Amino acid sequence: MRGLIAKTLRETWLTTVFLACALCLVKFLLTFVLPQFQKEMGDLLAQLPMVQAMLSALMGIDVEEEFTARVLQSLVWVHPVVLAILWTHTIMFCTRVPAGEISGGTIDFLLSLPVSRRTVYCSESLMWVVSGLLLIVLGVAGHVAGAWVGSMENRPGPLVVLFVVVNQYGLYLAVGGVTCLFAAMSNRRGRAAAVVVGIVLGSFLLNFLSQFWQPAERLAFLGLLEYYRPAEIVRSGAFPLGDMIVLMLVAGAAWVAGGVIMIRRNICTL
Amino acid sequence: MIETINLTKKYGELVALNNLNLSINDGDCFGFIGPNGAGKTTTIRVLLGLLRPSGGGASIFGLDCWKRSPRIKRDVGYLPGDLRLYPWMTARNAIGIVGQVRKRGLAERGRELWDRFELDPEVRVRQMSRGMRQKLGLVLALVHEPKLLILDEPTAGLDPLMQDVLYRCLDEAIARGQTVFFSSHRLSEVEHLCDRVAIIRDGRIVADEPLETLRGRAAREVKLEFADAEAAGRAEVPAFLKIRERRGAQWVCDRTGEMPDLIRWMAGQPIADVTIGPPDLESLFRRFYEREGDAG
Repeated sequence: MRGLIAKTLRETWLTTVFLACALCLVKFLLTFVLPQFQKEMGDLLAQLPMVQAMLSALMGIDVEEEFTARVLQSLVWVHPVVLAILWTHTIMFCTRVPAGEISGGTIDFLLSLPVSRRTVYCSESLMWVVSGLLLIVLGVAGHVAGAWVGSMENRPGPLVVLFVVVNQYGLYLAVGGVTCLFAAMSNRRGRAAAVVVGIVLGSFLLNFLSQFWQPAERLAFLGLLEYYRPAEIVRSGAFPLGDMIVLMLVAGAAWVAGGVIMIRRNICTL
Repeated sequence: MIETINLTKKYGELVALNNLNLSINDGDCFGFIGPNGAGKTTTIRVLLGLLRPSGGGASIFGLDCWKRSPRIKRDVGYLPGDLRLYPWMTARNAIGIVGQVRKRGLAERGRELWDRFELDPEVRVRQMSRGMRQKLGLVLALVHEPKLLILDEPTAGLDPLMQDVLYRCLDEAIARGQTVFFSSHRLSEVEHLCDRVAIIRDGRIVADEPLETLRGRAAREVKLEFADAEAAGRAEVPAFLKIRERRGAQWVCDRTGEMPDLIRWMAGQPIADVTIGPPDLESLFRRFYEREGDAG
């Protein structure tokens, strides 16, 4: 497995470091800047109900009712740029094997080595989980640095931040698990990635529509973003156990299904 | 060493391999010949555990190719037909990674091989020509001195000098007792090395024989130079000669099988000169296809 890990590290470290630094910077800026615009944002939300609905979809609470300074802090964790960075990383990583190796034509070389497909899948997944953790940790570092440089007023406590981070990592793993499943079924990396991007955007759309459309509200439980609610955690201070169970179940089930498919499928290069 | 019994592989309605039976012994150099799309690469992919057979079975070292693929590949060196490697890879770090995965120190043997193939160990794959990538693929297949070498079109992209280097490497491997499975669409390639050849067409083996037997079945070109054009015109064509061309005093014919009856017949003819070519395996190879095609 060491050789495979060395290979994966060689191929992914630059992207991971780049995205982790980007996440750190974005979180630093958001944490530092957002509190200074609370009043302006409140006015903006009052004028633009669409933005209000979008924020509610992202934050998992009714922004109109509960737009406090503390809740505003949670925007750092759901800002589209933050989510885009996390999803880019997890989708990029989880489509590498086997879809990426097949579309690159390198799967023949990889599987000519005396390693089982299970080992290949697990070593890739191990690197994904670890590098995802690095990404999240650097994101937290950016947040802490932003809070330290800026005003400490109305900041959530460390335990609440930890709960939000765990919830975020759960979402990261759930999106990655689903990506692993589609990558295992696909011969083309781009196709697998497009499907997952579609699912993630669909999930956001479902959350957005559920703010004002009854049928979408009934289906909202199907979207992954329904189980990522930093604002709720910041408001209540409670660990999102139910959400985490759902996210981990989705991540685990999809990852295992992806592994089974990877082990049993025919490998045809294009 | 390699055995397939009624091996069948279907892609939906398409039958890529149809009851393929092969048996290759330890130390054999086996040529696997067929045109593009005949099923060569599919056979190899089943042997390497990349494809699951739809019927029948395949084994290497007595182990099932699908279920025990990782164990089998410990002792297999494989060069894919359409070799693609990671763009960032150099020969040096490729040997390092392969050594780590195989848990063996391969640096010294790797150095020896990249020197023989005149490969710069620091050049990245993205900067390599097709031939250089092929050489790197060969180095990676040969470096751990596997018991079995499976080579799919190994000379593709190699210049004649490098082809000679490859043939020498394979000769040495065979001398060490390694088994070689050499897949190609050109018979002339396997003629250099192999002692047995199987010809595959439409997923079926249409011939599987020692090369000597195939040579015996292959036609030889016979050029007969009569004393003059008149003598050539008078001579009666014997049944065992197939005339391809008559040009004045010269006949160009094909002769299949033993030579004594030809020699006896020539003794009674006013023949000034004769040239007998080597067995033409390529035309025999083509005939296998034509015959099958006619039957179909």
